[in-house]
Formats: sequence, C-alpha cells, structure tokens
Amino acid sequence: MKRFLRLSAAVALAALTMTACGFGGKDEASGDGKTLSLLVPSYSNGTKALWEGIIADFQAKHSDITVNLEIQSWDNINDVIRTKVQAKAAPDILNIDAFSGFASDNLLYPAAEVVSPDTLADFQDSFAKNASIDGTMYGLPMIASARTLFYNQELLDKAGVTKPPATWQELYDAAQKIKNLNAGVYGYGMPLGSEEAQAETSLWIFGNGGSWNEGDKITVNNPRNAEAVQFMKRMIDAGLTQPDPGASDRTPMLDVFIQGKIAMAVGLPPTVGQIAQKNPKLKYGTAPIPTKDGQPMTLGVADHLMAFKNDGSKKDAIKTFLDYFFSAEVYKKFVDTEGFLPTTKSGAEALKDKKEIVSFLEVLPGARFYPSTNPRWAATQGAIQSQIGQIGQGKDPKAVLTGIQAKADA
Amino acid sequence: MSEQTRQVPVPTGRSARPAHRELARALPWLLPTLTLILTIVLFPAAYMVWTSSRDVSQAGVDRGPAGLDNYRALLQLPALGRVFGNTVIWVAGVVLVTLLVSLALAQFLNHAFPGRRLVRLAVIVPWAASVVMTSTVFYYALDPFYGIFNQFLVDLGILDAGFGFTRRPVPAFVVSMLVAVFVSLPFTTYTILAGLQMVSDDVIEAARMDGAGAGRIYRTIVLPILRPAIAVAVLINIINVFNSLPILRTMTGSIPGYDADTTTTLIFKYIQQDRQVDLASALSVVNFLIVLAVIGIYLAALRPMRDE
Repeated sequence: MKRFLRLSAAVALAALTMTACGFGGKDEASGDGKTLSLLVPSYSNGTKALWEGIIADFQAKHSDITVNLEIQSWDNINDVIRTKVQAKAAPDILNIDAFSGFASDNLLYPAAEVVSPDTLADFQDSFAKNASIDGTMYGLPMIASARTLFYNQELLDKAGVTKPPATWQELYDAAQKIKNLNAGVYGYGMPLGSEEAQAETSLWIFGNGGSWNEGDKITVNNPRNAEAVQFMKRMIDAGLTQPDPGASDRTPMLDVFIQGKIAMAVGLPPTVGQIAQKNPKLKYGTAPIPTKDGQPMTLGVADHLMAFKNDGSKKDAIKTFLDYFFSAEVYKKFVDTEGFLPTTKSGAEALKDKKEIVSFLEVLPGARFYPSTNPRWAATQGAIQSQIGQIGQGKDPKAVLTGIQAKADA
Repeated sequence: MSEQTRQVPVPTGRSARPAHRELARALPWLLPTLTLILTIVLFPAAYMVWTSSRDVSQAGVDRGPAGLDNYRALLQLPALGRVFGNTVIWVAGVVLVTLLVSLALAQFLNHAFPGRRLVRLAVIVPWAASVVMTSTVFYYALDPFYGIFNQFLVDLGILDAGFGFTRRPVPAFVVSMLVAVFVSLPFTTYTILAGLQMVSDDVIEAARMDGAGAGRIYRTIVLPILRPAIAVAVLINIINVFNSLPILRTMTGSIPGYDADTTTTLIFKYIQQDRQVDLASALSVVNFLIVLAVIGIYLAALRPMRDE
C-alpha cells in the first residue's frame, strides 16, 4: 500500500510537471539565444539520420550553437505544431508544407531577416513568389515536388495505344481500350480519397485553365472547375477508373499501379524509387499530364522552412543555421537523399544530371501551385479532401463544389 | 455511479469524533488520488470547455473570446443530422449485438468441455490486441484489390470481383460495427461469465425439479442474477463504444463526406482536416454532455444497479 501511494504521488508529480511544461512553460535552455529547436516531418525512413548528420556537421563548425531536433510523422505534425503554438512553446525553426496560417498570425520572421541576401537570391523565382504574402517572403522553399503521368507500357501495348495520351479525350479513349481488354486491369487511377484528393482535383482543374482563386477570393465553384469535375465524373461513370475512386487514397492506389493493375496514374518523384524497390520488373514510362487541349501543365508543391519569432532572441543563431542548410553542398545532399526536387538555382544546377528527376525538372518552371498563401486555403483544402470524392458516389459535381465553396466561405 | 457508495455506519465507540476531523485524517491518504483526478481528468476537461468558448486560429493562436459562436457554427453543418443518426445506430447496434452474442458465448464457456481453457483463451485474444491493429487487419482483408477476404469470396464464386466493403459509407459503417462488436466481446463475455459463477447449481436444480424448462429457468433465474453484471457491462460498453475512434478512423477514414461519421470521428475531422480546435472542443463538450445524459437516462429508467 505504501509503495502504491508513493507511486501515485510520483505519477501525480510527474503529471503536474508535464502540464506545467505544456502550459506557458518554456524550454529549459531558451534565453541564451544559442539553443535552437527544430521541428521537422519524416519524409522517409532516412530523414532522421539525414538531419542528425547535418546537425552534427553544423555543430562541429559552430560549437556555440546547439540544435535540438524533433521529428514527427506527417499525420501528426499539424497537431503537434498547433499544440505547441497554443502553449506558446513554438519551435524556432519548422519544416512543414504551409506557412500562411502562421504568417497571418504574425508568428514568423520575414525570410529576409533570417537568411543572408545570397541565400535569398538563390531561390527560384516561382518558388519565392509562392512563399510570399503581399510581397513579403515568409517561407523558405525547401523541397519541391511535381507530378507527371506514369503509364504501364505493357498494358498500353496490349490495348493498342501507340503513344501516351496528351489530351483528356485521348486519355478517355486509351482508358476505354484498356477496359475493353477485360483483363481485370483499370484504365486510369484517380485517387479522390482524403489523403490527397486536392492534388488530383487540382490537376484536372488546372488542366482546364481553371483555378481555385481569383485574387483574394477562393472560387471553387466556377464554370471551368465545374467542367473539369464533370469530366472526372464522366471517367468514373464510364468505369474507366479503378472502382470507388472516391475512397481511394493515393499511396495504396499507386501500389496497385506498381503491381501492374492500373494502366495510367499520376505519380511523384518518389514513385520512381518505389517502383524500383517494389516491382522493378514493371515496364513503365512517364509523360506530361493530359490536359483538355494538350497544353503541358503540372502541379508544383513546395514544403517550406520557417522561423518563429518567439521571444526574439535567437535571430542570429537561426540565420547561421539556415544559411548553413541552404549552402550548396548540404542542400544538395538533403534534396538528393530524399529524392525530391530542389527549389534553389544552385541546387537545380547541381542535380540536373540525376536521371530520376530530369523529367520533373523540365516541367517545374511552368508548374502551377495551390493558392496556399490565401488564409482560406487550408479550410478549402480540408473541404476538398473530405468531400470531392463524393462525385464517385453518385453526387452531382455542381452540388459537391457548392458544398466545398460553402466551407471555404465559412 | 454514486449508487455504489453506501453509508458506512460510524463505529459507536468513536462517535464523538466530528466529521471534519475524520476528513482531515483521511485527506493525506486521498491526496495523491485527488491530485491525479484534478490534473489529468478535471483540468483537461475544464480546458476543453474554455477552448470551446474561444476563437482559436488554425495555427493555434487564441484570438479572444467567441461566446457561443462555436456552438452556433456546429449547428450550421448540414451533415449534423446524419452524424447524430449514425452515432445512435453505432452505439445502440454495437452494444446490443455485443450483449446478445456475449450472453450466448458466456453460457457456452460456462459449461465444462474438453479444451475449454483454450477456447476461453481464444475469446480473450481480441482484447489483448490493439484496436488499431485489429481494425487494420480487417481493413486490409476487405481491400478490393488484395484483401484475402475478398479473394476468398471471389474464389468461392460468390463475387465476380472484389467488393469495396470499406469504400462506401453504408457497407463500411456496417463492417466497422462488426469489428466493434468483435473487440467488445471479450470484456462483455468475461463480465457475464463472472456473473454466471454466482448462479448456484442448487437453485437451477430446484427449479428443474419444479418442472421449469430451460428457457424459463434462464429468464426467471439466470437473467435476474446476471442483472448487475449486465448493467456494468452495458454501461462500460456504452461509454467505450460512444468514444471509440480507432475503428471508424481506420475503416472509414478515406471515405469522402460525413456519411460514415459519428460525433467522435467528426471531432477528429474538425481537428485534422479543418484544423478548427475551437469547433472541435465545442463538439467535444456536446459529446461529453450526451454521454452523461445517456448514462443518466439508462440509470434512471432501468435502475440496473438497484438491490433486489
């Protein structure tokens, strides 16, 4: 009994201490301006080792600065950072996709204050623009990803499709020919599950010259978007996609493509590596994503590094670390190892011969982005993820877009 | 559960001691528990109520008081009716089916037969496994492309091609309910099995001598004796099932829209997809009140805990 009491007292004490940390408490080592906390998501199994290596090299050069690394999964990182901000314990440097929410709450340093002019000038223009709100750059574009069409060469040959489709109509016809094979394979993989439905939908909408915004206003429900979504529904209703596209997440759908059961699907740079690892025998090719009129187009996505103001004492240490990270050698190693695309001019130059990403680098300059600097975009994206798939379950495209628009305006 | 606490008569020899002195004497012993309850139950609950009355930005910054705006915003959601309906079906369906199957299972396990120990062990296994793991196993087994369950049905010729059990709201909700029953069975069965130990063979035998059939014996003797065990099992199941997140999140998480959501999964969609902690907190408060109300009604209407 005595032991039990002692134990519960210890637990209670621990709980108290933990809550104290969570609510208004500060990192034990803050204040000296030399200890940085870094919160990053895990891109791959190698992410942790990669960061640890970079930090060790950095600390060897700058022995007065300590960097504390925290890694979270993509599933959790949004919850983690929000809890930290709510508890006024934000990290000094954060790596995540969107920065506009933090910037509009005035939590971030402008980029110009936390990197040197040389580093700032090295970012590719399209990415720098995409990382700015009202002309002030807050995010530091860190890695990029673009999409391209992957096709199964064997299936296209069998179905008599001689060249990969460039327009919607060609895609429709090619998928129809695949379907006519009656071989238990599907024409086009359309992942409209909540994982990344906004990416697939954006590809169709951008491919029709549509857009998610007009200036500052989110316009989900405009005629071009409606036409694009209508065509998506035509593909689904004609049975040219995998079954139940509305509930198919991207990762499992691409696995089915890799197994050779889907003829065409849009993939990302890491897809190349996944095929090599999971099914190296797959004969596949890549081509520009089909659009309504055949004009090449891709969706660019950039993840950003950003620096939180917190108590304002660590600006110099942050600058030292970020300049180190974006220095040519370190940056090249990071992007190269993770298999993504570089966002800096020097990085693109250094990696221009890497064959896995060449086809992506070509389309990158013309890439279109989500309107992620719009404060309403996060809510809109959430609504697209949770609702657009309903077009695959018999709901009217117009009504679905209206529902998403309502959430965007809420 | 205040019915459980009974007035302990103060020993006559010490009746002079005032009540507050008793309390003061007990306090040091109660303190650790009270501290624990205060810090890990009451404080988070109060913080939840507080957050539900604030305007919190997507980044987590508190922008000031919001009054009842969050609660009003909840009522605006068109899918709310469906979500509440789902919640009722989910709780009532899972708890009832679990109870019925458990009654039968417990009866079966109460008889002596060779290998009973192994069967009892097998019943407990789903309890030992993590719910997320169990749900994930079912989710993959039901996958239309490579799930073994679908493959099985195709091989038997029952289906032409894999069926997307987990791809559409209604079938996905139904299979989730089955998984929920599956993971609720061990606890319920064992609670009832423990209750069955209290049924003495003499009473059964006496009833049989008086000419009562098996059905009659079960209804008029066994069930009344099981009443407290069933009451505990149902109460705990209601709370557990109502608050259950992992099953539905694993099995129906990728389904668009809110057709397969209960209030609990909706809370998480508010947090993770819409990133609206304030709204999610408001819904949590509503959820909390619903559980209290349901349990209050259950206790008041059925009086399952009363002594007979």
